[in-house]
Amino acid sequence: MIFLSDFLNAEVVDLKQHRIGRVRDLIVLMSDPFPRVTGVVLKGNRRLRAIDWTVVRSWDNKELSLKLDESALQPHTRADSELWLSRQVLDKQIVDMDGRRVVRVNDLQLSQVEGTMLLVGVDIGGRGLMRRIGLEGMGRRASAALGLDWPQKLISWEAVDPVKSDVSSVKLRIAHTKLARLHPADIADIVHELGPEDRSAVFAALDDEKAADTLEEIDEPQMQASILERLDVDRASDILEAMAPDEAADLLADMPQERARQLLGKMEEDEAEDVEELLAYRQDTAGGLMTTAYVGVLHKLTAAQAIDRLRELEPDAESIFYCYVIDEEEHLLGVLSLRDLIVAKPETQIRDFMITKVVSVPLDAGPREVAEVISKYNLLAVPVVDQHNRIQGIVTVDDVMERVMPARVAGRRRRLF
Amino acid sequence: MSLPGSPLRFVRSRRARVLVFLSVVGPGIITANVDNDATGVTGYALAGSQFGYDLLWVLIVTALCLGPIQEMVARMGTITGKGLSDLIRERFGVAPTVWVMGLLFLANAATTVAEFAGVAGAAQLLFPFAGGVARYVAIPIVAFIVWFLVLRGSFRGVERLMLILTTVFLGYIVSAALAHPDWGSVLRHTVVPTFHARPAFILIFITVVGTTITPWMAFFQQSNVSDKGLGPGDLRYERIDTYAGIVMLNLVAFFIIVATGATVFAHHVHVDPADPAAFDKIALALEPFAGGYATALFAIGLLNASLMGASILPLSTTYAITEAFGFERGIDKSFREAPAFLTIYTTMIVLGAGIAMFPGAPLALITNLPNIINGSLLPLLLPLLLILVNDRRIMGRYANGPLANVLGGVVLVVLSVVTVLFLASFVAPRLFGG
Repeated sequence: MIFLSDFLNAEVVDLKQHRIGRVRDLIVLMSDPFPRVTGVVLKGNRRLRAIDWTVVRSWDNKELSLKLDESALQPHTRADSELWLSRQVLDKQIVDMDGRRVVRVNDLQLSQVEGTMLLVGVDIGGRGLMRRIGLEGMGRRASAALGLDWPQKLISWEAVDPVKSDVSSVKLRIAHTKLARLHPADIADIVHELGPEDRSAVFAALDDEKAADTLEEIDEPQMQASILERLDVDRASDILEAMAPDEAADLLADMPQERARQLLGKMEEDEAEDVEELLAYRQDTAGGLMTTAYVGVLHKLTAAQAIDRLRELEPDAESIFYCYVIDEEEHLLGVLSLRDLIVAKPETQIRDFMITKVVSVPLDAGPREVAEVISKYNLLAVPVVDQHNRIQGIVTVDDVMERVMPARVAGRRRRLF
Repeated sequence: MSLPGSPLRFVRSRRARVLVFLSVVGPGIITANVDNDATGVTGYALAGSQFGYDLLWVLIVTALCLGPIQEMVARMGTITGKGLSDLIRERFGVAPTVWVMGLLFLANAATTVAEFAGVAGAAQLLFPFAGGVARYVAIPIVAFIVWFLVLRGSFRGVERLMLILTTVFLGYIVSAALAHPDWGSVLRHTVVPTFHARPAFILIFITVVGTTITPWMAFFQQSNVSDKGLGPGDLRYERIDTYAGIVMLNLVAFFIIVATGATVFAHHVHVDPADPAAFDKIALALEPFAGGYATALFAIGLLNASLMGASILPLSTTYAITEAFGFERGIDKSFREAPAFLTIYTTMIVLGAGIAMFPGAPLALITNLPNIINGSLLPLLLPLLLILVNDRRIMGRYANGPLANVLGGVVLVVLSVVTVLFLASFVAPRLFGG
C-alpha cells in the first residue's frame, strides 16, 4: 500500500542525480470518484516550489527521481479545485459518511492506477499514527510476535466529506451535498464534534428544512444560538421559519435580544407572530413548553371537510394525531383522533362523534404536572388552554419528557467542559 | 406582528438567569479555581512555612507570566472553537503531538498522584486515631467515587459544589489578618525580590512557579472556552474573565503564604516536606481563624481541593489526548464504543491512587513533585503556543500583535531560566552550597 507519509520528506533527485530538495506536500485535483495527484511541493534551498507530477520518473520510500534537470523544471500549473494534502487534509478532521462520525486523518492512502496516482482512502487507525512516527514496522512485528492481528483502519475517499477547514481558497466539488443525505440526528452528532467555523459551513450547505431539523436535534441551546448567529440574517430567519415555533422560540430566547428582534423582523409575519406569542411565556410552564402548531377544526364541519382541512394544514408528524374541535372563538369543545376521523362516515358532523371530555392543562402548569397528565391518560400531546378554556397550543410528549427526564436519559450527547 | 424595535416581552428567561451566573463564573475563573488544588495549597503553605514572606514576590512574577499564557489560549479557544491539542495536532502533525501528549500525560499523572496524596493527608488529619491506616481506606474509596461520579453520575453539579467549597481557603485571609503579621514586611517582600542560593529555596521557588503556571491549565481553559461556544464578540468578556481568575488565584496564594509565614514560620516550627507530619504543622496556620478547628478546616479544604484535582485532571488529560489522536470520546460511552478514552482515564486514576498508597510514601513531598515537572514542561509547550497564536491561517486578524509577542517571549525566557536553575541545582547542588 502507498501512503502520503511515504512521500513526505523523501529526497528529490533530478536527472543528473542532483539532490534538489525534499517533498513537503502532494497536490491533488478534485475529481470523481477519486482525486488525482497532479503536483509535488518540494523544499530546497529554503525555497518552497510546486512542480507537476508528470515530471516524476520513479519513486521509492527515500527518493523521488525526476525526468528532467533542475534547470528544465517548470512551476506547477495551478487549477481551481486543488487540495494540498499535507497542509489541508492530513491531521485535519473529516466526516466519515459511513460511520457517521468525525475522525482525524492519520494518513492518506494513494493508489497507482494506469499511470496516474489517485487518492483513494483515509487512514484513521492506530497503524497510521505509528507509521507517521516511523514505528509501524515495530508495531507490526510486536503484534505478529503476540499472534495478534493488527488491521489497517481505512475508509474510502468516496465515503469522506472534507470539512471546510482552511480550504477557503479552494472550491471543493464534492461540497457538503453528501452530508445532506444523512438523517438530521446524525448530522447533529457530527456538527457537535466540529469547530464553530466548520459548523456554519455545514449549515450553509443544507437546505432550510434539513437545517431546521438538524438545529432542533442539537439539544444544546448555546450551540444552537451560536450557529444561527454566524449565519446571515436572511438565511437564519429562513431556517427559523422552517422550525417548529416552540423550538424557534426557545432558540431566540437564548440569543441576544437585539439579534432575536432582528431575526423576528425578517421572518414571515405568521410564523413570527406564533413565535412571539410563545416568547411571552415562561420557559418552565406549559405555555413555554407548548407549540402553536396544532390542528384545530371548527365544530360545524363534517368528517370529510375536517379531513380536507387537515390536507390544507399539512401538519407535522408530531401534531397530526389529534384534531382539536373548536368554536369560532377558539374555545376547546372536543377532540378527535386521526383514526376517528378516517373511520367516520364522510358526511357525519364532527361534533356528533367527538370526545367532549378533553383533558387539558392551564398555561401556567409546570412541566411535571404536564408530564403526569400525559402519562396518566397515555397521550401523545395535551392541549394548553387559557382561563376561558380557549386553546393556545399543545405540549407534545417528547417536548415535556425532555424537560422532566434526567439529563442523561433525555440528552444523548453529554459533554463535560 | 412586531416591528424590529417594538418592545418584546422576553419572559421565558429562566435560562437567562443561569446565563448571568455563568457569565460571572466563566472559564477563566473556573480554571483558576481548579488550580488551587492539593498541590497548589500545599506548595504555597510549604513556601510560607519554610521561608516566611520571602517568596511573596514570586506571586507577582507568576501572575505576570500566567496572564499572557492564559489570555492566548482563551483567545485561541474563542476564535477557533477548537481545543489546544486539536490545534497542536493540526498545525504540527503526529510526531510533535505524541511528544507533547506524552509529557502532558506524565505531568498530569504525577499531579494526580499528588491529589491522592492530598486525600491521604486529609484523611490522616481527620482521623488521627486511625493512624497510618486511614489512607489505605480513604484513597480506594475516593478513587472509586471519583471514577464513578465522572463516568456514571452527574459530574456538573459536583463540579459546582467543589468550586464553591474552594472558598474554604478564604479562611486564610481571615487567618492572615488575625495572626497580625508585620504588614510592612509583607509589603516589602511582595515588591522586593529575595533570593537564597540554597537547594531548599530553589526547590520551593520552582514549586510555587510550577503549581501556579501549569500546562494543563492551558488545555483546560481552552477546551472550556471552546465548549462554551464563545465567538469573537465575546473576546473582551473572556479577557476580563481570564485576568479576574488569575487575580483571585494569586490572592488566595498570597494569603496562604502570609498566614503560614505569620504563624508556622514565625513560631520557628520546622517543616520538612519529607516529614509525614508536615500537614499537621501546615494546618497550624489556620489556628488564628479557626482555633481548635484549624486542623479540621484545613483537612476539609485539602480534601476538597484533592477531590477536585483528582477528578478534573485525569478527565481533562484524557480529553486532550483523545482529541489529538481522534479517538472516540465521551463520558457517556461504553467501553466497546470508546476503549481508548476509558482506558486512559481509568489508568490515570488507578496509577494515581496506587502510587499514593505505596507504603511509607512521603505525602507532602509527593504533593510537591509534580509542580517541578509542570514547571519544566512549560518552556517546551510555550513555543508551540506562540507559533499557533501567531499563525494567521488559524487566528486571522486575531493573531498576536507585537506587544503580545514581546510579553510571550519574556515569559518564555523567565520560565526557561527557572527551569535551567532547577536543573542546575539538581545536577550540581554544590553550586548552591547544598
